[in-house]
Amino acid sequence: MHPSLLFYYLWIAPHILLGVILLLMIRRRLYKQFPIFLLYSAFEFFQFSVLLAVFIHTGSFSDERYRGAFALGTAISTALRFGIIYEIFAEVFRNYNALSELAKVLFRWATIVLLLIGVALAGAHGSGADGFLLVVPILDRTVSLMQCGLLMFLFLFSRYFALSWRNYAFGIALGFGILASSELANSAIRSQLGTGSYLLDNLGMATYHCCVLIWIFYLAAPERSTHRTIKKLPANDLEVWNEELQRLLQQ
Amino acid sequence: MTITLILVALAFVALGFSVRLTKGRALTAEVLENPTDHIRAVDLEAFQNLVDPGEEEYLRVNLPPAQFRRIQRERLRAAVEYVSCAAQNAAILLRLADAGRRSPDPATAEAAEKLVNNAIRLRLYAIQAIPRLYLGMILPGARISPVRIAESYEQMTRLVVLLGCLQYPTRGVSAAL
Repeated sequence: MHPSLLFYYLWIAPHILLGVILLLMIRRRLYKQFPIFLLYSAFEFFQFSVLLAVFIHTGSFSDERYRGAFALGTAISTALRFGIIYEIFAEVFRNYNALSELAKVLFRWATIVLLLIGVALAGAHGSGADGFLLVVPILDRTVSLMQCGLLMFLFLFSRYFALSWRNYAFGIALGFGILASSELANSAIRSQLGTGSYLLDNLGMATYHCCVLIWIFYLAAPERSTHRTIKKLPANDLEVWNEELQRLLQQ
Repeated sequence: MTITLILVALAFVALGFSVRLTKGRALTAEVLENPTDHIRAVDLEAFQNLVDPGEEEYLRVNLPPAQFRRIQRERLRAAVEYVSCAAQNAAILLRLADAGRRSPDPATAEAAEKLVNNAIRLRLYAIQAIPRLYLGMILPGARISPVRIAESYEQMTRLVVLLGCLQYPTRGVSAAL
């Protein structure tokens, strides 16, 4: 089956838009704050250029050179995504001394627990010839599970402590949250089917396209001002606080 | 097949949560615009009374066991409500103080920083205290003393007063708040 026009659009358009992300990050000097995200965007753009060149040269997605370049690129891209999750994590907790150490420990434990769950789920698939053929989708599923789990942990943890997110960090995390959850569903279905499908490919690429647009939206938007002062609090608490103050002054 | 279904369901939950985060941000902004509508009163004295081991001992000695267990459960349920209110207030004050940390005035920035740390500590205590209080409801004899919550809340209220005074030095404490 020959890829459709939609397939080509979903393959090419988000990677061109990554160029916009790179420009925005350089213009706003965000490379200091998110160096790994910048590296990831640049690498994805570079990988796409290489794959496009190989595809034009060979005329096939199933050529060994194309598959080799794709596998290598995916491995590097996956490693960079873990780096970005840690980068967002560090950015969110940077200003909270009381929490940063605890957060680091919990993050490490969450990584270990998610890795163990992924390995246990992979083990549940069994072994043998079929099992070997399923290694790549299962590995993909394990990685997706870990990335999705880590992002959800980050969201829940920061939500519980009501930590404020800077616009850029929030946008990047939101994009990755959507991407990771869609890839988890995609990879779980793939590992079950044992083969790819154009529908899954198109859905995966469409989600990636949406995420790139989300990143552009948040990176292009001005950073929201969060300056607020305490204006008014309820009278009943005010009385308690005034009493506390009087007690404090008497000490 | 079951694993696949579970993972797909988890992925949808995660996706829904990610999308809800955007909505949650708008709600947070609304809470910060009108904190008075969202902050709930906490009577510290009543709370301290509820978790006071001496008070508990007094009830244990003077009441028949069945009645003591019933009353203790009620007391702990009320304590959970107090802790939840205190934790919710801490979350709101944390957001308010967060902005104060960027104040050009060093004293305001310092007070805001202390308030942020205190609010975080209170939420940490709350996450430990609530399961313990529920455990106390199941086992009315177990020793539960979330005293640190009360101390932390007390400290937090003082810091709110201080921060208010620093932000509105000419209007006095009440006007500041």
